[in-house]
Amino acid sequence: MAGKGVRKLFIKGLWEENPVFRQILGICSALAVTNLLENTLIMGLSLIFVTSLSNVTVSILRQVTPSRIRMMVQTLIIASYVIIVDILLKAYLPDISEALGPYVGLIITNCIIMGRCEAFARSNPVWPSFLDGLASGLGYALVLLTVAFFRELLGFGSVFNIPVLPAEWTRWTIMVMPPGAFFMLGIVIWFVRSLGPKPAPKADARG
Amino acid sequence: MIGKRAFSVMYMLLLTLGFTSAVTLVYGVNEERIERNSRLKLQKIVLDVLNVPVPFPSQPSNIIEIFEDRVRIYILNGESIYMALSEDRRDIQGYAFRMSGAGVWGPIHGMMGVSHDLDRVLGVAFLDHSETPGLGGRISEEGFRNQFKGQPLPPERIKDTTYFRVQPPQATVRSPNEIDAVTGATGTSNAVERMVNGALNRYLPFLAELRLEQEELTP
Repeated sequence: MAGKGVRKLFIKGLWEENPVFRQILGICSALAVTNLLENTLIMGLSLIFVTSLSNVTVSILRQVTPSRIRMMVQTLIIASYVIIVDILLKAYLPDISEALGPYVGLIITNCIIMGRCEAFARSNPVWPSFLDGLASGLGYALVLLTVAFFRELLGFGSVFNIPVLPAEWTRWTIMVMPPGAFFMLGIVIWFVRSLGPKPAPKADARG
Repeated sequence: MIGKRAFSVMYMLLLTLGFTSAVTLVYGVNEERIERNSRLKLQKIVLDVLNVPVPFPSQPSNIIEIFEDRVRIYILNGESIYMALSEDRRDIQGYAFRMSGAGVWGPIHGMMGVSHDLDRVLGVAFLDHSETPGLGGRISEEGFRNQFKGQPLPPERIKDTTYFRVQPPQATVRSPNEIDAVTGATGTSNAVERMVNGALNRYLPFLAELRLEQEELTP
């Protein structure tokens, strides 16, 4: 695949069709795991792993999978990868696995993954599908890390568990709690959208 | 030639078999490690609440070694009581038992250690909880847990005694059984209060009997 095509896939995944701030997908985990950067990073990496490998597998099987059972097949593939991630986290990063709790298992229901399988991997060759999964996963991870950066900084006064603000800093308790995630995510989406081109008149009429 | 439906069923069946085998394989390879992680966590917490010193930083093998050397497990009514031997291995330094209760978001499981004479608390620690990180989750921090350390326990065992009371943090003088709550986490702090009192009410009478038995055995 040509370099230009790769770049296009990444621009789409990270910006133009970013799953979180364009398509508003994967919000549940975006709200739940973003109060510490460390947890968010592991969550993002897990999602990148699952999205890209699920895309690869769906793409490999795309010629043989009967289309009427394709959703079942996709769910099976996604669930298998997620459980593998869960097992590996429990074995090698027990503390983080505990902090993420049920949210690793809930990656199975993350719409981003099935969305990419349906929209891309089902009808594209293996390598582009892998890159598409990678790009979408990265798009998700970067937005979550941005949200987590501000939540951890304001809520704990630290970045990756390293205190950066003076001890007299009054912690914004609300940033640690779920409502903080709503505010932060809302601000991030607002900010990003205000950077982009003005919506077409059609979109205005809808609003 | 097989019909389309039959193919779909066979295809799904084979695929499921393939993926579940893969998952089982990954689990099989890591099973021992996962079990060791959770055992190690329990051992660390037992040593912590029994005030058995562990060098810092310590390797997993150190923890296992110290645990096996200093802790004996006694099964009482189907539940494990952990007994710590004193440094010369002649006396019992204290007992540790599990405690659990409903937290704000889910169950909280913890461990508590009391002295051999059952007259003071040695330590409190938490095994798992789903409290809000940074709020209720701070019960796992030493600042909160250490408040229990060394607190006296009354010698009388009266039913439903409130051994500890969790109070909003203030700059006033405290009576010994008052514990500062975690700021912004009243629900979790109250849950801990219920758990600690419940566990003490439940285990102290048992432990008193256990002590008498042991005294009879060793004149």
